[in-house]
Amino acid sequence: MAIALKSWTALGTSVHVLSTHDDGLEAATTAVRDVLEDVDEAYSRFREDSELTRLNANAGRTIRISPLLATAIDAALRAARLTDGAVDPTIGRAIRVAGYDDDFSRIAAEDSEERGREMRLRAWHVPGWQGIRLDRRLRTVWLPHGVELDLGSTGKALAADLAATAALAAVGGGGVLVSLGGDIAVAGEPPSGGWRILVAEDSRVKPDGDGDVICVPSGGVATSSTTVRRWSRGGAVFHHIIDPQTSLPTSGPFRTVTVVAATCVDANIASTAAIVRGEAAIDWLTSCRLPARLVENDGTIHYIGPWPDPASVAA
Amino acid sequence: MNSLTPTQRDRGLQRLRRLTFGATAGGLIAVVGVSYAAAASYAGKASSSGTALTATTTTDTTTSSSSLSTSSSGDLQSAAQAPTTGSSGTATVTSGGS
Repeated sequence: MAIALKSWTALGTSVHVLSTHDDGLEAATTAVRDVLEDVDEAYSRFREDSELTRLNANAGRTIRISPLLATAIDAALRAARLTDGAVDPTIGRAIRVAGYDDDFSRIAAEDSEERGREMRLRAWHVPGWQGIRLDRRLRTVWLPHGVELDLGSTGKALAADLAATAALAAVGGGGVLVSLGGDIAVAGEPPSGGWRILVAEDSRVKPDGDGDVICVPSGGVATSSTTVRRWSRGGAVFHHIIDPQTSLPTSGPFRTVTVVAATCVDANIASTAAIVRGEAAIDWLTSCRLPARLVENDGTIHYIGPWPDPASVAA
Repeated sequence: MNSLTPTQRDRGLQRLRRLTFGATAGGLIAVVGVSYAAAASYAGKASSSGTALTATTTTDTTTSSSSLSTSSSGDLQSAAQAPTTGSSGTATVTSGGS
């Protein structure tokens, strides 16, 4: 079965849309673009006119929000609850203080030496998700004073899920895959044997390269890694996965975790939480019964749950 | 000292009983009234579940809890079908950090 592919950049990351219907790719692509534009307007942390930016500027007041932002905040609160706060959307100010305060392409290009003098050893206490009050029926949210939401982790995965659903509806049949910076959601009828996905530490690795390939018929795949989106401040190297307990980038034994789940959101919740939980991640992922692949800082790889045996290659 | 006649004493006792009843009833009404005013003034500050919520109104707290428990509860969900192994070099997309 021929698979049509369209790629571009959005939300500060790569976008890939694959369709099993060659003539459906344009419709799928248009649907995905529309979803991503809505997502950008609703919960971009780097747009002054996004709903999220306005919400963060109005902590202490009850604010009515769009259905999309309500869904994204609900997903983030669910992530926090299911991970006992390992994935916490109230890291907004902590990650900004750590230096990730702009689109990452501009962060990486800045003079780290100069900024390092300002940012040295600064950290901002993560206030915790429990204080957020979301009313889904009325679509209102209230943030405690001092809280800034960052929906980056679950937000991108949610966007992939929504985009895949919208793309399938636009195509009207067959199967689609949407990848946002390596977070993948699939919908509809997969190609024979499933969607073939290379599991790597960096989503920029070409898919036809060597490495672990898994075939996924349904659901979502997410990879969290401390090896990408890194920057320097004051002589220290930072990355984008914040440990809410320390308010600093994580420093655990695993540098990359990949998880397969029913949705990209659930896969992303598990992979991010595993990085944050550190040594406890293996037991926690095992209890979740989700297939997972963990890479230690020294390169040692662990396979958890029903992850396919790398030695048994499908025909 | 003037002594009271039995009739005068009985009337005095009845007057005393009326005063006692009136004071008791008035006090009861006052207690109910003050309690109602206090409850109305501080609605939403207390939670029946005993959790440390800081909602500004009772409605907010109740709705928030119920909507979260019904709309987004549950564990992380496994995919309907487990992944299988594919041949190296045959993938069409990469999952990795970004």
